[in-house]
Amino acid sequence: MPGKSFLHKLNPLTKVVWSLAVITLAFVYQQPLPILSLWASVLAVALIGKVLREILPAIRGLIIFAAIFFLFQVFLIDEGQVVFTLVPGTGIGRITDVGLKACTMLALRMLAMTSTIPVLLATTPPKDMIVAFVEKLKVPYVYALMLVTSLRFIPTLQEELSLVIQAQRARAYDLEGRNIIKRFLALIPLALPLLLMSVQRARTMAISMETRAFGAGPRTSLHTSTFQLLDIGVISSCLLLTAVLAVVSLH
Amino acid sequence: MIRAENIHFTYPNGFQALKGLSFHIKAGEFVAVIGQNGAGKTTLLKLLNGLLKPTAGRILIGGLDTARARVAELARKVGFLFQNPDHQIFLPTVREELAFGPKNLGLKGAVLEDRVKDAAAAVGLTPYLDFNPRQLSKGQRQRVALASVLAMQPEVLVLDEPTTGQDYREALEIMRLVKKLHQQGHTVLLVSHDMEMVARFAGRALVLGEGQLLLDGPVATVFAREDVLAATGLVPPQVIQLARPYQEQGLLRPVLTVEELYAEIIAALRGEVDARQVLPA
Ligand SMILES: Nc1ncnc2c1ncn2[C@@H]1O[C@H](COP(=O)(O)OP(=O)(O)OP(=O)(O)O)[C@@H](O)[C@H]1O
Ligand SMILES: [Mg+2]
Repeated sequence: MPGKSFLHKLNPLTKVVWSLAVITLAFVYQQPLPILSLWASVLAVALIGKVLREILPAIRGLIIFAAIFFLFQVFLIDEGQVVFTLVPGTGIGRITDVGLKACTMLALRMLAMTSTIPVLLATTPPKDMIVAFVEKLKVPYVYALMLVTSLRFIPTLQEELSLVIQAQRARAYDLEGRNIIKRFLALIPLALPLLLMSVQRARTMAISMETRAFGAGPRTSLHTSTFQLLDIGVISSCLLLTAVLAVVSLH
Repeated sequence: MIRAENIHFTYPNGFQALKGLSFHIKAGEFVAVIGQNGAGKTTLLKLLNGLLKPTAGRILIGGLDTARARVAELARKVGFLFQNPDHQIFLPTVREELAFGPKNLGLKGAVLEDRVKDAAAAVGLTPYLDFNPRQLSKGQRQRVALASVLAMQPEVLVLDEPTTGQDYREALEIMRLVKKLHQQGHTVLLVSHDMEMVARFAGRALVLGEGQLLLDGPVATVFAREDVLAATGLVPPQVIQLARPYQEQGLLRPVLTVEELYAEIIAALRGEVDARQVLPA
């Protein structure tokens, strides 16, 4: 990923600061609308950085995840006025106005917070991320590597999952039209091959790292991590904007 | 059996993988699909069993339009063997793994057991029915995957590079198996990068290049078009290249395999003194 846009040129830590700013604001805001616009701003940044199209599948996944989260929570809150009942006449599956609002907030907040991650990943080569963590934040190399590697595996896993789904569907495996429990059990034919392959890959990776003398001594890196004027500008405006927005919304 | 009418396919990211393909495959044919990496072979196969739906044009499988049919429904007719068996294997024994497909088709009891036994026998896995498939070799796992498709008794077998990552012997064994299944009446579509295998086993070849159908015809005819093949990075088997000059001079009849060439040479030399001693037997 050579410098396609200004997002690619920023120091990885600058983008982490931006993520943290978004997370802070997501916690500060207590109304759905501001959070929605916060989320929109994240997507706008992705658009300016020319990676929106690339991260769209990840965003879609996050939306689904947030929706599931919403569904799990929304039935658990019984304060407030009942607006809807799944099985009329009984108390089963009732949704209240308080619950609806709280869960919408929760889901949107999660969405806004997590949406920065794909933007970060799409615009930062993993190596740069590690170097920045190790040099600027003094994180031990192994931990930085672990973090970055696990994040980097997500797209690979996505690809693999889609292959697994196709392989099982080709054996007449139907994912649609089952009840909730069956649907949950139905994940097994998909999750198991994925898990087994991941374990296999982790083993292969450990071996290939060891055979290349991983952990044999102090390491050096070819490129060092530097902050440029642009970084300093972006970081200060992120901090300033967050502070201002936080103060405004808390009053 | 399979009719493709001007099919196009574009991936959601806007990549045009197939650009207007038409062909007709009759029941009982053995067709190889060849072309360089990224030519669209896998995409084409996935369209055949409905995993992907054409963005334009249509595909009929035995009269059934893949765009309207469910994948589970098409799985009865079209068995798909993926490149990597590990994408599908997840049950603790070979027996259960083979039963997965037929169970999804709603089979139970004795019928189900028969299907499993027949499929295991067809690929020579009967002694391994109670083994954990994860502990078998790559070639054996590939056969588990093949058997699990056979257990659904599809008319058409679609195989995506079934021999990659295997040694010559194991690859040949899988191909012999496929040949046997073909002789038993299955229509076979095979993607392969191994031109020797294609020449040896397939009857007809489709050549794909950048999403277009470049050639379609009997294997011998297709391999004679070196110019077109070169454009998509393919090279005919060495034995065909070796025999070509002699063939053009009318000295040999067209051949596809080493064995055929050997027989041809022997026949051509017959009559000359001690012909067999010139060539090591
Ligand atoms: N899910 C996808 N999204 C976008 N593009 C894809 C996707 N899958 C494949 N492609 C692209 O479509 C083209 C054809 O892919 P396909 O897998 O059909 O090629 P192939 O002929 O099977 O190649 P190979 O010999 O490497 O298996 C490739 O250029 C590939 O990058
Ligand atoms: Mg392929």
